[in-house]
Amino acid sequence: MGGGFGSKFAPDSQGIICAQLAKLAKAPVKLMLDRKEEHLDTGNRPSATAHIRAGVTADGTLTAFDGQSWGTGGAGAPSGFPLPYIYNFPNRKRTHKDVYINAGQQRAMRAPGHPQGCFLTEILMDELADRVKMDPVAFRVKNLPPAAPNAMWAEYFARGARAFGWDKRHATGDPAPGPIKTGMGVSAHRWGGAGRGSKAHMDITSDGGVVIKCGTQDIGTGTRTIVAIVAAETLGLPVSAVKPEIGDSTLPFSGGSGGSTTAASAMPAIRVTSVMARDALFAKVAPTLGSTAENLVAEGGRIFVKGTPSKGLSWKDACKLIGTEPISVDGQWEDGLSGSGTSGVQFAEASVDIETGIVRVTRILAIQDCGLIVDKLTAESQAYGGVIAAINFALFEDRILDRVTGQMVNPNMEMYLLAGMSDVPKIDIMLNNMPERGVIGIGEPPTVSTASAIANAVRNATGATIRSLPLHPHKVLAAIEQEKAGGTN
Amino acid sequence: LKAFAYVNPANEREAVAALKTDGIAMVIGGGQDLLARMKDYIDSPDRVVNVKGLDAAIAPTPDGGLKIGSAVKIIDLFEHSQAAKLYPAINAAAIEIGTPQIRHQGTVGGNVNQRPRCWYYRNEEFVCFKKGGSRCFAVNGENQYHAIFGNEGPSHIVHPSSLAVPFVAYGAKFRVLGPNGEREIAAADYFTLPTLQNVLKENVLEDEDILTHVILPAPGNVKSGHYEVRYKQSHDWPLAFTTVVLTMSGNTIASARVVLGAVAPIPWRSKTAEAALTGKPLNEQTAAAAGEAAVREAKPMSGNAYKVQIAKTAVKRAIMNAAGIKTV
Repeated sequence: MGGGFGSKFAPDSQGIICAQLAKLAKAPVKLMLDRKEEHLDTGNRPSATAHIRAGVTADGTLTAFDGQSWGTGGAGAPSGFPLPYIYNFPNRKRTHKDVYINAGQQRAMRAPGHPQGCFLTEILMDELADRVKMDPVAFRVKNLPPAAPNAMWAEYFARGARAFGWDKRHATGDPAPGPIKTGMGVSAHRWGGAGRGSKAHMDITSDGGVVIKCGTQDIGTGTRTIVAIVAAETLGLPVSAVKPEIGDSTLPFSGGSGGSTTAASAMPAIRVTSVMARDALFAKVAPTLGSTAENLVAEGGRIFVKGTPSKGLSWKDACKLIGTEPISVDGQWEDGLSGSGTSGVQFAEASVDIETGIVRVTRILAIQDCGLIVDKLTAESQAYGGVIAAINFALFEDRILDRVTGQMVNPNMEMYLLAGMSDVPKIDIMLNNMPERGVIGIGEPPTVSTASAIANAVRNATGATIRSLPLHPHKVLAAIEQEKAGGTN
Repeated sequence: LKAFAYVNPANEREAVAALKTDGIAMVIGGGQDLLARMKDYIDSPDRVVNVKGLDAAIAPTPDGGLKIGSAVKIIDLFEHSQAAKLYPAINAAAIEIGTPQIRHQGTVGGNVNQRPRCWYYRNEEFVCFKKGGSRCFAVNGENQYHAIFGNEGPSHIVHPSSLAVPFVAYGAKFRVLGPNGEREIAAADYFTLPTLQNVLKENVLEDEDILTHVILPAPGNVKSGHYEVRYKQSHDWPLAFTTVVLTMSGNTIASARVVLGAVAPIPWRSKTAEAALTGKPLNEQTAAAAGEAAVREAKPMSGNAYKVQIAKTAVKRAIMNAAGIKTV
């Protein structure tokens, strides 16, 4: 299961074939993959496995990390991921091997590499915290790299612990009687989210119409909405007064929607272009208002002299001064309106039925920054989506290949399991607005930590260590049996 | 999808007659299974015979039981107050099926007669015993959702019907109509363990037979319970589930029927669990002992031993449900 984002960065063989057919036919050709083809042909998240040794002093200071990792990105493709993740191991050694197999190529899928590195590191952190008998939050805070605007983990751990009720967390292994054990877990993550290169075009016509054009696309993230929001705010208009045109290759260039780069690329271009168009309109209006362009403001559907709202024109009347030739400007992304680097922390609560191995996620708290929040609703929606996708990663998603034939046995939506409504817990999102950092992408970061936090919650609930995803009941039951027999090393 | 003829018979006789053809004819109820099989190229019938228009009533029988038409929608079975009162385990099974959409579209007959959900069977690439091939891919393959009982082969599917299990537990009879007239078959005898001869089917229905009714006897002085274990909370197949029907004499279990689902190629009656219950007081200790007894003869495959623990829990908790003891 990929999506419209990274896994579609390249046209892939089916996209190239489609274009070739269109060229031969001299007609548009529509490409549609059914669910099975989508499962089989469009790439996968690379797998990740590691053997890790780590050192920690009795006071909870990490000293060393020695990791060997493997992954498969398919035939001749890489499978790298960051490891160790975030925490400060002063001495580290890592080797990684790409294992080539003929089972479908890797594609950029949901924060490529990060969920893998995050999971391997964060479950290690909980096991180490237990060795030195420290609270997992305190242990993590003690071993963080220095705080920075893009590294706000210490603050988020503290805020999240308060909001989540971390003080009610019991030590590893829920002492409650009965088969249902509950637990809490935590995890931290980071991401880039920088943008660049987008272009835009704006037309303002004498009837007051505003069209903003940008060759970005809305794959369900709300890009169309925030394009209109930024343009409208710049012009002092309601969002409904701006017509955003996106999603067509004839429009001004913008990059692919992947790497959480869309907002940080397109928004500065929209802002720059809107400011240029607004200033051009100010120049047309200034003589009528007996002022200069620099001295005008656009606000509340009016253009008026700064400090004297009565001395102005309605947007409609102002635009009548444009004349027959519309205001038509081209702008592009500029440095300073966007940033890079985000941080987040997530808390999870899960319950485990130790007689069936079934895990239920009951609560998630996601704390996330993404620089300037352009639109709270769509930004939160990105975080919800990321968390839900990661619940799938934690509990359900598994591309199961028949070990004899190599064929995928579950290329459908019935046996490739995804959370239904009943499997989705209460999710709280706490966004940290940092306007001074500019726009930064939020698409991927919220999907990085969730699975690690859930796995740590399951360990906290059961006292059994499961170092593998998804948390299928067969693994949970096996880990509980192993714990009864004396635990893991 | 291969083009097919669609026949809309006026009554059950016409439905049976319509199944007679030189090509392949198949019955469609709610279509929740057949259409999916056709779209996945598992089946390509020449003729599809609609049985949604047949008897969709739930009617009382003279002996105090119920007669359920095969065309009854699962949601209507669930919402039928008399059915819920007499057969609470059927009610519990019905609401766990699929999704609201599937329960509103799917029928009782369709649920009983649906084909296996085995992922080898459902993928056209794997020509297994069930599709006329010569092997069961699950044996050396991915068998985490396959059988832990009745594993003598040649096929190792689990029977997919949620309703079949309580039907067997309550001693239902199935009315079948064919070219040579009607017959009634005990639910327990309707489903067939696979052999090389019968492996293309999961029950005794012949090609021109239709299942028209499920006839439930009056339940008598019983306590019944049902428990399902599923990986996902909604829209997922159970990993294991159990219906128990206990005939009580005071607080002592006089006799018991324990039937497990999703663990064998048929609804699996556990004689060992039934023996462990007979003559015992109905309490949690008895339930736990019956759970242990139920799985004593389990024969899991290479990758599904975990289902033994889950089946054991389902049996225990179904009995606790029957006893009114909180399970979790």
